[in-house]
Amino acid sequence: MGAGYGPPDLTRTIEDLRVFDRLPLPSQLDRTIMAGGTIAGLVAAPVLIVLLGLQITGTISAVEMVFYMAAGVVLGGALGAVLIKNIVHASLSLIATLLGVAALYLLLLTEFIALVQVLVYGGGVIILLLFALMMTNAQDDPIVQDGSQKPFAFGVAVLIGGVFVTALLDAQWGDPTAAVIPFVDFGARIFRDFSVPVIIVAVLLDIALTGAFVNARRAEAHDEEGRS
Amino acid sequence: MTDVLGNALNFRYALLLPEIVIALTAVAILFLDAFKAEFKVGYRALPLLAVAGLLGAGALSLVWVNETDEFSRLITVDNFTTFFRMLFIGTTVIVIVGSHEYIEKHVNHHGEFYALLLLSTVGAIYMAAARDLLTAYLSVEVLSFSLYVAVSLAKNDLRSGEAALKYVLLGGVASAMLLYGLSLIYGVTGSTQYTEMAAALSASDGSTDMALMLGLVLVIGGLGFKASAVPFHMWTPDAYEGAPIPVTAYLSATSKAATFALILRWFAGPLYPVAEDWRWMMSTLAVATMVVGNLVALQQTNLKRFLAYSSIAQVGYMLMAVAGMGPETASALLVHLGGYLVTNLAVFTGVIHFYNRTGKEGIADLKGLAETNPYLALVLTAGLFSLAGMPLLAGFFTKFILFQAVVEADYLWLVVVGVVASTISLYYYLMVIKQMYLYEPVGDTTRWRISPTGYLTTGALLAAVVVLGIWGTPLYRVSHEAALALFAAG
Amino acid sequence: MIPIENFLVLSALLFAIGFYGVLARRSAILILMSVEIMLAGVAINFIAFASYLDHDAFSGLVFALFVITVAAAEVGLALGVVLRLFRERRTANVDEANSLKW
Repeated sequence: MGAGYGPPDLTRTIEDLRVFDRLPLPSQLDRTIMAGGTIAGLVAAPVLIVLLGLQITGTISAVEMVFYMAAGVVLGGALGAVLIKNIVHASLSLIATLLGVAALYLLLLTEFIALVQVLVYGGGVIILLLFALMMTNAQDDPIVQDGSQKPFAFGVAVLIGGVFVTALLDAQWGDPTAAVIPFVDFGARIFRDFSVPVIIVAVLLDIALTGAFVNARRAEAHDEEGRS
Repeated sequence: MTDVLGNALNFRYALLLPEIVIALTAVAILFLDAFKAEFKVGYRALPLLAVAGLLGAGALSLVWVNETDEFSRLITVDNFTTFFRMLFIGTTVIVIVGSHEYIEKHVNHHGEFYALLLLSTVGAIYMAAARDLLTAYLSVEVLSFSLYVAVSLAKNDLRSGEAALKYVLLGGVASAMLLYGLSLIYGVTGSTQYTEMAAALSASDGSTDMALMLGLVLVIGGLGFKASAVPFHMWTPDAYEGAPIPVTAYLSATSKAATFALILRWFAGPLYPVAEDWRWMMSTLAVATMVVGNLVALQQTNLKRFLAYSSIAQVGYMLMAVAGMGPETASALLVHLGGYLVTNLAVFTGVIHFYNRTGKEGIADLKGLAETNPYLALVLTAGLFSLAGMPLLAGFFTKFILFQAVVEADYLWLVVVGVVASTISLYYYLMVIKQMYLYEPVGDTTRWRISPTGYLTTGALLAAVVVLGIWGTPLYRVSHEAALALFAAG
Repeated sequence: MIPIENFLVLSALLFAIGFYGVLARRSAILILMSVEIMLAGVAINFIAFASYLDHDAFSGLVFALFVITVAAAEVGLALGVVLRLFRERRTANVDEANSLKW
């Protein structure tokens, strides 16, 4: 940089515009979305019809129907997040999972946690992830190649899932008694009964902030500090 | 606990005073560092302030010797807590005093570095003091987060960022495992408070046994990662090698001791009623850790990686005591932890001063150290012999107590494995010592001396290693008191 | 009332899917996303147990709240390290960062 202060170099500006070639063209993007949407719709429609049928015939309640829909979104989103090769799409799929999880919290009568989930993940974590994606891989090539250890990973995951589900279904959990905790009580009790964890979490956030700061800061800044 | 604001909880914030002092010192350090140009602080001011704050907190925590008190059912201050307060504060002081020259030369962001060490000490102390799963879990994360960052602070070393990345990713997976296990145990017991958990598990009718078992496996896996037990040790050599050496020392000392403090609190307290369910898991883990740690240590050429595997092997001995958990073994484990910390810090402080002078960290680079710096060679030799368990040094005394307690807990076969493993370890520790004494120095053969603070720390640690080996009664008595408090708290 | 087993099985599946992601992915950011999926499973577990079993119905909720907090903080911390590594090496893949043996 810094050759001089002459008139802007038009050829260079046009060269720079080529940057957009690296992004998917609008038509490609449209086609991807349409194809994905069609597939999702084709899969979702029969499931919805079956669920509705079950609900109308009285086999499952309305609440259960909502649960199964949310569970479908959660699991589908999670599978997308770990399987899709385009990392931007994978992270969008993660959003579906996290919002589905918030819906599950609502079903469990915990509005406050659902709210926190949407705010923290939707507002914070996903944005951070997308930022980092844009600043690293996605800059040049949004398609990632997964490792060669996929079959091994698949085996381990099936094993874990099988063992967990068996163990959880084997246990006799007590009688369900869902209770709602009002917001006011929630706040009062967090700061009374769990005062120490709140303090410790403050320390934790301080450390995370420091950590993100020392690592994300540019390298030149390090050198300056080293000299001083 | 059912009504919202009517229950009587104990809110004596004075109980938290030592940690408040440490945390405020950390904040003061960050502040001083940010405005060091305005305040014209010298480069020694930060470590001095850190040490002053720590010593103040240490003196304060002596107030609670032989006292027992609980803060709001979340934190308990008893002899066990006080024992670990002193241990962790002492470790951090030694690491700072012994390595401030190293930190000035080879570490980025000094202010943040010292602040992180102090805050992680708070996390480590609360791992030992927690009475509630939530407090304990958050303390674990405080310690881990600080260490993730501290590992990444080495200056001009590409390995540092990579080690931090591996550590943070694997650490996240381990935390998720630990948490899933905790959630299952919470589901089985219906509480996160240790006393209530123990009561629920004693009264359990066995209808949730599978879930409890799975929870135990996951919790032990997560803790095994934090303590770097085989097969959850993959991060250890990388993090140890990539980190600045004082952080490596800290990792091998405080991080391990804090994990064992937590293990003792959980497995001697809330999970003690189901001891028969987890003893076999712990003994399996102990055998795997001793065997793999010792065998892989044989092949290392880098000092830090070598010490990483040697510390993994040491974790195996400590896990034996957990497998045979009881008042006597807990007390023996505390003795061994004390001896291990002193010994390990002696070795690491020696290595730090060696690196300050030479900038090298290969085992072969130690060649001829006995000629160029006989004192440092003596410190390293004493430390390594003590790690191997040679008589008249701390390592022999503490390991003897440990093995004896485990035998009395009917785990003779574990001790046999431990003794065999110790014998193998003697071989590789001797290989390192051989480098210092039997070879001529390569390159620079001039005699050199370490700094005054270096003499101070290595001297104190050397003296401790020797004195503990000959006269370990005080440590034994203190550990006994701490173990009694541990089992009294339940 | 939905049986508690439904939530537990869902959380177990989420955990397994997340674990698959951790093992199969190479990009550090995608591994981090997989860890988030595992932690989502954990939070569902805590809340399900809190709602259904804990008569106090409370410690589990607070636990879940703090799990979400810690997970978010962890993402911030880890992404800082990822960015730094990317600056130094031009890669965010864990197996291309290989000056240390795994």
